[in-house]
Amino acid sequence: MRNKIGVYICHCGSNIADYVDVEKLKEIVAKEEGVVLAKTTMFACADSTQKEIVQDIQEKNLDAIVIASCSPKLHLFTFRNIAIRAGLNPYNYIQVNIREQCSWAHSDTPKQATEKAISLVLAGIERAKHSKALTTLKISSVNTVAVVGAGVAGMRAAIELADMGTQVFLIEREYFVGGRSSQWNKLFTTDETGQEIVAKLYKKIITYNNITLFTGAEIVSKSGSVGDFDIKVKINPRYIKPGCKLDWAKFEKAVEVCPVEFDDPFNFGLTKQKAIYKNYPSEFPEIPAIDYDKCNKCGECVKVYEDIDLNQKPETININTGAVLLTTGFDPYEPEKGEFAFDEIDNVITLQKFKRLIELNEKELIYRNRKIRNIAYIYCVGSRQLDGENKYCSRYCCTSAIHTAILVKNKYSDINNFHFNRGIRTYGKQEVLYTESSEIGDIFLQSFEDSPPVVEKQGKDTIVKINDILTCGKELEVVADLVVLVTGMVPRKINTIADVLKVPIGRDKFFNEIHPKLRPVETVIDGVLIAGSCQAPLNITESVKSALSAASKANSLISKGEIELEPTLAKIDETICEWCDKCSEICPYDAIIKTKHGGKIIAVVNETSCKGCGMCLPVCPVNAIQLIGYTDVEIESMIEALI
Amino acid sequence: MSKINPDFSTELKKYGAINFNACYNCGNCTAVCSLSDEDNSFPRSMIRFSVLGLESEIQSSVIPWLCYYCGECSETCPKQANPGELMMSLRRWLTTKYDWTGLSGLLYKFIQLSIIAFILTAVGVIVFSVYENFKLENIMHYGHLFEMLAIGAVFSLILIPNIIRMWWFIILKPKVKVPIVYYFKGIWDLIVHMFTQKRTLGCDDNQFRWFEHFILVGGYLALLFTTIVLDWFGTENLFIIVLGYVESGIIFIVTFDFVLSRMKKKKEISKFSQPSDWFFVIWLFLLGFTAFVVRVFIDTNLLENNIWIYLFHLIILVQWALIIVPFGKWTHFLYRSFAMYFEKLQKDIKISP
Repeated sequence: MRNKIGVYICHCGSNIADYVDVEKLKEIVAKEEGVVLAKTTMFACADSTQKEIVQDIQEKNLDAIVIASCSPKLHLFTFRNIAIRAGLNPYNYIQVNIREQCSWAHSDTPKQATEKAISLVLAGIERAKHSKALTTLKISSVNTVAVVGAGVAGMRAAIELADMGTQVFLIEREYFVGGRSSQWNKLFTTDETGQEIVAKLYKKIITYNNITLFTGAEIVSKSGSVGDFDIKVKINPRYIKPGCKLDWAKFEKAVEVCPVEFDDPFNFGLTKQKAIYKNYPSEFPEIPAIDYDKCNKCGECVKVYEDIDLNQKPETININTGAVLLTTGFDPYEPEKGEFAFDEIDNVITLQKFKRLIELNEKELIYRNRKIRNIAYIYCVGSRQLDGENKYCSRYCCTSAIHTAILVKNKYSDINNFHFNRGIRTYGKQEVLYTESSEIGDIFLQSFEDSPPVVEKQGKDTIVKINDILTCGKELEVVADLVVLVTGMVPRKINTIADVLKVPIGRDKFFNEIHPKLRPVETVIDGVLIAGSCQAPLNITESVKSALSAASKANSLISKGEIELEPTLAKIDETICEWCDKCSEICPYDAIIKTKHGGKIIAVVNETSCKGCGMCLPVCPVNAIQLIGYTDVEIESMIEALI
Repeated sequence: MSKINPDFSTELKKYGAINFNACYNCGNCTAVCSLSDEDNSFPRSMIRFSVLGLESEIQSSVIPWLCYYCGECSETCPKQANPGELMMSLRRWLTTKYDWTGLSGLLYKFIQLSIIAFILTAVGVIVFSVYENFKLENIMHYGHLFEMLAIGAVFSLILIPNIIRMWWFIILKPKVKVPIVYYFKGIWDLIVHMFTQKRTLGCDDNQFRWFEHFILVGGYLALLFTTIVLDWFGTENLFIIVLGYVESGIIFIVTFDFVLSRMKKKKEISKFSQPSDWFFVIWLFLLGFTAFVVRVFIDTNLLENNIWIYLFHLIILVQWALIIVPFGKWTHFLYRSFAMYFEKLQKDIKISP
């Protein structure tokens, strides 16, 4: 029991003092048993007040302090640091929130606000009396990061981490690096192609000794926790003998003889792909790959290309890593059948497919044997949905559609672009593209979300109709040779990594960060970080920015060799516990381990995985679990003070 | 239901429109325009129609004629889409649409054709003079006759049919039902607009321009009357002689100022000059100036020995009467007044019970 408690009541300027009678609060609190000092202060967080509190603690030999002020979200660490500076254990400091919970919430009824503040502070004092001095946990960490996804974000993060001296395992599910960026041609603002950017990064990556790249590889399981994850990586064979160089002529022959043919996902079905393939000649790694899932092992290719080895087997390796950085990217939104006549009228395609179509058509733009002159772009398909689940704006699509429209107009003659939009969002520097496209004669038509454009067939023609709000709602129509649905970003359809790592998913179904502004690249799973478009729709610039931020965050987390953890965790009393499995079932972090102890089976908390969420406490039938810092004694004493 | 026609932009650019595709529909131009009102809101509406290529909507509209080009819209436009010049181009385009002969369009778009027409008329005058053995008396007699004939012919063959076409586009084709009595009621407005251009005064900072234009129109019409009816070049009446001097003086002084401002390009209205604009101001200047000089030569008895000065005047006159009046910018004077008249009809119907 602590009995030399100091209580500070903050005015917060006028935020608290205007509604809560702080003087009355001080008088009542001062009479409380165990309280040796009660003060009011204009701003508890002010430098001078902090110094005063330090002095009080030292002079009056206080053994606990209570500060009644704002939310601990704002100043918990500020005030804990006061305790530390004064030589008091920071866990003997208790914060009571009388601003958000009293003065702000009950500004209409100041009397009741004061009463509530009195009760809360008294409860806080009770908790302080029972508070224990705790020490933070320190665990060791390996200076290794597994980066999942070798797209532009992943590769850039890997380079950054490697530069800082961290060992990097770069794990790519596909057989080639580059991700989505390698599918796009010229990019704004530099006019570099996606493939050039990918090539630049790959060529840099192979110069690092501390980056190990796995392709055709996926994480299949994870154990351990921050600083010391053990992950299993399954690597599919490439069926090319190790150390071989690319022999283009033989490779082409092998493609020719391969009997397995299917729609090419890289070109969104515009072309056919064989089991042995390279998506484009300068793709990295240079050697081709044979798709493990598609190959039927007929052996035809081996006859013309002796570097092929169909006897290779998938293997699983174990990697010990301090942190995992996810840069797994996005999938383009796949429109539903009938959405703007998609899958019903044959000249309706997605923007991503259209971009590949431009790549594949050198001189004339032809789709399904039809020369394309009039192109109608329909914006916000799969984004900003009124009824659907995707409420968000995919951010990149306005810019991408306009950029593509300009490319098309410059590449082929006689092109007319019609943009059916819901308001153009070419934010930042991208606005110049919008200006350029309208200056070269692109036509922008706008409608509200509740009356979208209509795509329909009239005889042989495909017509796009709109009630254009820029022309007083007049009904206008365009005969379109091609309708391009400007589809947004959605999370990866095949997203097994989310289950393996238990990554929290946001309402938009993308991976979720802890705090969008203050902790934008961390997840609530310590040591699992996110960057790029697996987190939210981002363009390449923004993805790389977040990748670099995640790289430095990962490095600062694990490179010191040890990690400090909060001691406010669940603790199981081994004398009471009789393994019933209830707590481990409910734990969202897999932090409870079944262990043999003194001849019986009990549950033990893995301190590095536990977050102190308290989910296990109420389910324990024998009440064997206590949450350190919020023990039954502390909580019960608070309740007593409150009633 | 209207079909979008992006090719219209390219066509309109031949009439002088600049960069109007850059418009992003903010509407600043309409907000700043002191002539735009609830019934006829512009220029944004016209820019939009032009971008979309809604030709029939533009053809049936009087709006392009309601603008007097103060240029504030172009100054205010955040995208430098030049709404003022677009309105001007639409007026040029409309005159070619009203013209049943199609010649205005050809002369607008192909400067070579204009030059050929000017040369042919000059050659015609010279050939005629050779035929008449350069006898001043005869040539001046036929010159006078020509003026009368030309006015009659141009009006009956070209201008009146064109006005009827304009009426068809604006009133008949869109099926605006106008009771006959309204046509009579509106005539006073037609006359007032034609001779005073009073709507110009609604523009900001346009008072001086309006005054210049007003006395120019007055001087021009009066000189026409003085030469044709009062036979300025033949008269001995001192009052008529002085009157003619004043009128021709007004014409060349005011047009000289117009030419200067087109060269200086300081105001929005004079920044962008199409060949048709140059022809109009320069020929009107030459018309006034040569008429003035011819009368000076008559009064100093020098004309007999300097017949070339009259021939030069006659060439200018013939070119003016046969090219610029029926197919050039002169028609704006007529169409604008009638547009105002048709607008009044439209408005009267709206407010009638």
